[in-house]
Amino acid sequence: MNRLRRYSLPYLVWMGIFILIPTVVLLILAFSDLSLYRPGTFRLSLANFAIFSLPTTQRAIWNSFRFAGIAAAICFIIGYPVAFYLSKLGIRVRKILISLLIVPLWSNMLLRINAWEKIFTANSIVTDVFGLSISLVGTDAAIVLGMVAMYLPFMVFPIFSVLEKMDPKLVEAARDLGANDVQTFFRVVFPLSGGGVISGFVMTFLPALTTFVLPAYLGLGKYTLIGTLIESKFIKEAADSRALSINQGSLISLFLMILSITAFLLVIRVDKEGETLI
Amino acid sequence: MRKVLRDRLYKGIGLTFLAATLLILYAPILVILVLSVNDSRRGYAWEGFTLKWYSALFTGSALTEPILNTLAVAFTATAVATVLGTIFAIGINALEKKRRVKMVLLNNIPVVNPDIVTAISLMIVFSLLSLTFGFGTVLLAHIFFSMPYVILSILPALRKLDANLYEAGLDLGCSRGQAVTKVILPNIATGIFSGAMMAFTMSIDDFVITYFTSGANYMNVSTWLYSKLRLPQAFTPAAYAYNIIIFAVTIAVIVSSNLVNVRKERLKNEKIG
Repeated sequence: MNRLRRYSLPYLVWMGIFILIPTVVLLILAFSDLSLYRPGTFRLSLANFAIFSLPTTQRAIWNSFRFAGIAAAICFIIGYPVAFYLSKLGIRVRKILISLLIVPLWSNMLLRINAWEKIFTANSIVTDVFGLSISLVGTDAAIVLGMVAMYLPFMVFPIFSVLEKMDPKLVEAARDLGANDVQTFFRVVFPLSGGGVISGFVMTFLPALTTFVLPAYLGLGKYTLIGTLIESKFIKEAADSRALSINQGSLISLFLMILSITAFLLVIRVDKEGETLI
Repeated sequence: MRKVLRDRLYKGIGLTFLAATLLILYAPILVILVLSVNDSRRGYAWEGFTLKWYSALFTGSALTEPILNTLAVAFTATAVATVLGTIFAIGINALEKKRRVKMVLLNNIPVVNPDIVTAISLMIVFSLLSLTFGFGTVLLAHIFFSMPYVILSILPALRKLDANLYEAGLDLGCSRGQAVTKVILPNIATGIFSGAMMAFTMSIDDFVITYFTSGANYMNVSTWLYSKLRLPQAFTPAAYAYNIIIFAVTIAVIVSSNLVNVRKERLKNEKIG
């Protein structure tokens, strides 16, 4: 068995190349005027921080946190009862229902968002076929609901995987000791499922916080979120060779990286082996 | 009596929320299905039933090249990520506990990282290496983001495997290679298969990472969609048809493989019984 250990070594090198190097480079870019494509001058500076004082940036950060926070909370309110209900079912039905939650994710995300855009548009094809006329595109609600629709399963899965493994004897013990349903739930079941809840919040909040496709379609392009900012700094403005756009983009990405490292530390405190992640 | 009522109430709430979830998840699929058989290029209104978007997929359209690119990347990335992921997973599993936990943590970083952060990291590495953005960079990127999932789905199977089996294989005269291919691999085959399926489904639908690592001239279906959904003249509803076909094929593969597994289990149980 010990001979097999060396097979893990190349993976360490591979991850080093793709995780460590870009993090260092992002740091350098964020705190300097170095150009990624035409390295010339190099001066350490804090000038890139100026983007955080722009109203557009501030609004983007505020809106992203607000939308992603509300969306994750809605996912939790819907997702927890669903995961709880599923964990109580027989193994056969449970397996079928879980696959039913996975299957829609195999449909292209851009097309699913495009479909939501049609659902949220009054007098669209959805009105013709299903008689439904909702006018929501271009509003906060459309973006939040879109986030819920895209990321809800990622709240259900980790909570379900924790509840499924929970020892039913613990619930019996609580009953025997005189706890009623509500007490059993809030003092035994819920605290024990905390790891799944934390993973669920991370797996819904982070993608919602960083999306740039959703606001482009469901917000009709009127909203600038954090993802939109990064997209424009790295792709659109970089294509126009706008000075420092990549450096400013790197600074915002670094901000996201710190957030996701924090989230990561939270997850590994409750789930070392990553069992709630798939 | 009160308990029965209360149980019914809990069940009712669970069922209602489950129904709501399924509705939210399947509503867009239904809309895509309708759009794929709608006789209208713009898709603003229902203009009658047609299958022409499905046939357009096979006779060629603006989508042909992005579809071929998507499939080429998905198949190659899945193959490479599955083979390498299996080797790495076997290596990680053989580590002593402390190191193993650390490696699993490292493995999970890209899983938790939002796509856009992974995408930018990869874009930076590729720029530093002065690689030409296109098929090669997209392929590397897809191998990178799908491999952790392959490893995550193989590790539990490896942990269940008795470590002594490998040694027993060696004692019984297997070469080291044979001990891996004849003892370890058959026992973790289900984990490898589900890892491969996960890699494939993630690669075929990826947008964000491809968008940042493909450069201006190489497109997969998702990046093509992103540039064309707002341009009715350039868009074709064949995209909806493509999505429905891929969707149906994925379901068929998963369902049939599950059936095979169920049948195998049953045979095993009958033999034992």
